[in-house]
Amino acid sequence: MNRRITNLFSRALLHVVIIFIAFAWLMPTLGLLVSSLRNRNDVLSSGWWTVFRHLLDFNQYTLENYTEVITASGMGRAFLNSLIITIPSTIIVIIIAAFAAYAFARMEFRGRHVLFVVVVGLLVVPIQMTLIPILRIYNGLGLAGTFYGIWLAHTGYGLPFAIFLLRNFFGSIPKDIFESAFLDGASHHTAFFRLALPLSIPALASLAIFQFLWVWNDLLVALIYLGGTEQVSPLTLRLSSLVNSLGQNWHLLTAAAFISMALPLVLFFSLQRYFVRGILAGSVKG
Amino acid sequence: MKKSLLWIVVLILSISMVAAFSLYGCKAEEAVEEAVPAEEEAAPSKGVVTVLGTWGGDELTNFQEAVFPFTDETGIGMAFEGTRDLAAVLTIRVEAGNPPDLAILPNPGQMYELAKDGRLIDVSQFMNMEELNQNYAQAWLDLASYNGTLYGIFYKVANKSLIWYNPSAFSAAGYEIPTTWDELIALSDQIVSDGSTPWAIGFESGPASGWPATDWIEDIMLRTAGPDIYDQWVNHEISWTDEAVKNAWEVFGGIVGNEEYQYGGSTGTLTTNFGDAPASLFTSPPGAYMHRQASFITGFFPEGLVAGNDYDFFPFPSIDPAYGIPVLGGADLIVVFNNTPEVQQLVKYLATAQPQEIWAAKGGGFISPNKAVSLDAYPDELTRKMAEMVVNAEVFRFDASDLMPAAVGAGSFWSGTLDYVGGEDLDTVLEEIEDSAVDAYK
Repeated sequence: MNRRITNLFSRALLHVVIIFIAFAWLMPTLGLLVSSLRNRNDVLSSGWWTVFRHLLDFNQYTLENYTEVITASGMGRAFLNSLIITIPSTIIVIIIAAFAAYAFARMEFRGRHVLFVVVVGLLVVPIQMTLIPILRIYNGLGLAGTFYGIWLAHTGYGLPFAIFLLRNFFGSIPKDIFESAFLDGASHHTAFFRLALPLSIPALASLAIFQFLWVWNDLLVALIYLGGTEQVSPLTLRLSSLVNSLGQNWHLLTAAAFISMALPLVLFFSLQRYFVRGILAGSVKG
Repeated sequence: MKKSLLWIVVLILSISMVAAFSLYGCKAEEAVEEAVPAEEEAAPSKGVVTVLGTWGGDELTNFQEAVFPFTDETGIGMAFEGTRDLAAVLTIRVEAGNPPDLAILPNPGQMYELAKDGRLIDVSQFMNMEELNQNYAQAWLDLASYNGTLYGIFYKVANKSLIWYNPSAFSAAGYEIPTTWDELIALSDQIVSDGSTPWAIGFESGPASGWPATDWIEDIMLRTAGPDIYDQWVNHEISWTDEAVKNAWEVFGGIVGNEEYQYGGSTGTLTTNFGDAPASLFTSPPGAYMHRQASFITGFFPEGLVAGNDYDFFPFPSIDPAYGIPVLGGADLIVVFNNTPEVQQLVKYLATAQPQEIWAAKGGGFISPNKAVSLDAYPDELTRKMAEMVVNAEVFRFDASDLMPAAVGAGSFWSGTLDYVGGEDLDTVLEEIEDSAVDAYK
């Protein structure tokens, strides 16, 4: 009896702490959401929390910011561009990383440890250092301002982390499974497609989310390699040009933030099951 | 099952590749099409001029509309790339050998650096210099030159010597427009004794916090020390600890050192965003009565206000009568990286009155430095008054902090003003700026 009460108490305490942390974490997003639904004069004159005084007074809300952002010229095109950039950049990274990670985890060849250390070492190279040299190469190859160029760039920037994550996940799959497969005469090809890949769906899904989010939210890489013209610029660039040079019209960015968040949110919730498992990917065996 | 998954992946990949390829393939023609209004008959495509600038929102729309007649006539399109982080993006693109055809810089500072490195095209090669000399005041041409070579053309000016007020609040309280600094201080004291606050000030602007304060000091400097000393100060021919500089800061301190003068006190001044600051002029009863800021601040005013009725401005009054009422301003200028016939045509067109009048008519505080632009082109009395001040100014000076090396003009000068408003000793502040200036001007 006594033990049950302490147990209950500690669980309740845990929940209070978790709810508090979740609440604190969500607060800025909530503020952003409320601000995006208010008109500019209200945002200027009072804090967003003041809406809670009369929560159900719908006159204080407006969808004006949203309609203004969505109807701004070139928005549909920008959304399409974002998809054109993001989907291949995600898929290419996953395919290459899966092959490479399998090789690092399960194939014996000379120098594989050195090679792996080099790949992981690339994680710490600041992206800003690479901008000028790569753009120079792109100019020579005619890749600047093309979608090929940006796919390649995102692939390069995404691979070190992707390989690292997947290698550790493949490494954590019990060795015995592979050994018995090899005993039965399986080649590496079969082992990869019929064992490694199906067993690592959670890791692949979480990697897909990571990479998708990173490319979807990217502003810098697109701005440098692709440029900001209407024909190629993704959503992030388009939204940032809604604001005047000194920051006039900033109130539109609240709505813009939610619009650009929409697709990643859908993706996250639909792959959430895998995502939680994927965070633990490779944590058992390093 | 695994096989079908793989096939789906391959399918998606190839579809998006094909889609991207076809979209990219027609990129060039489309750029031209988009710049041409649908109802007009487009001239045959003759290429696209790429322009990089900081403009966004309605600035961008207005600029694009100003270029439409050019595209109609010549068939040359304009593709605008906007980023507010222009300095960094431009540096990377130039270093990598991939500069835009034209760039629109928010101040001449970076132009001097680019010109020094030999990255820019001398525009006098192809411009009609006689016309330029006629349409632009010599000061504008000098500012856009480096070592005597003309590298840029000023396009859009901001008039910074303005004090904004709310006419109905002023008349309700029975206040008169001050014409001298002493009257301004007397009015401020009167407002305080009436139980209100004279000034709405905001110096916060993210990493650029402090720039609105530098404009105050520059305006005062022009009025207490005169344009010659001002130029010496910009070029660091006089020290920051010089009596003339110190005096200007002390006059500034007469406003920001007085807690009762500022809406929210000096804490309010330091923490209020420059764009939010003027909002207190329009509350009822007014939180504050006056706000010193450039012409572009109207873009931050609450919606639904009527120019001339709800807000108006008077020129920053003279302090030393010997120097009258000079005008302080900032301006965007066009510089050229690639010398092609299409670029030449576009730059020539932009320097004429037509595109500037189109934008002027759209409002948004656009002021042209071009004398050929008729004052009738401005949409309201208020903008016309601002433009008149710029065109007719006996003394016009460019924003000093924009001309100084970045370590000072976008560094120690900004932070120094904040320290000063925060209550730090003036001599210490000036010595610190001087220290950084000694290195920066080497």
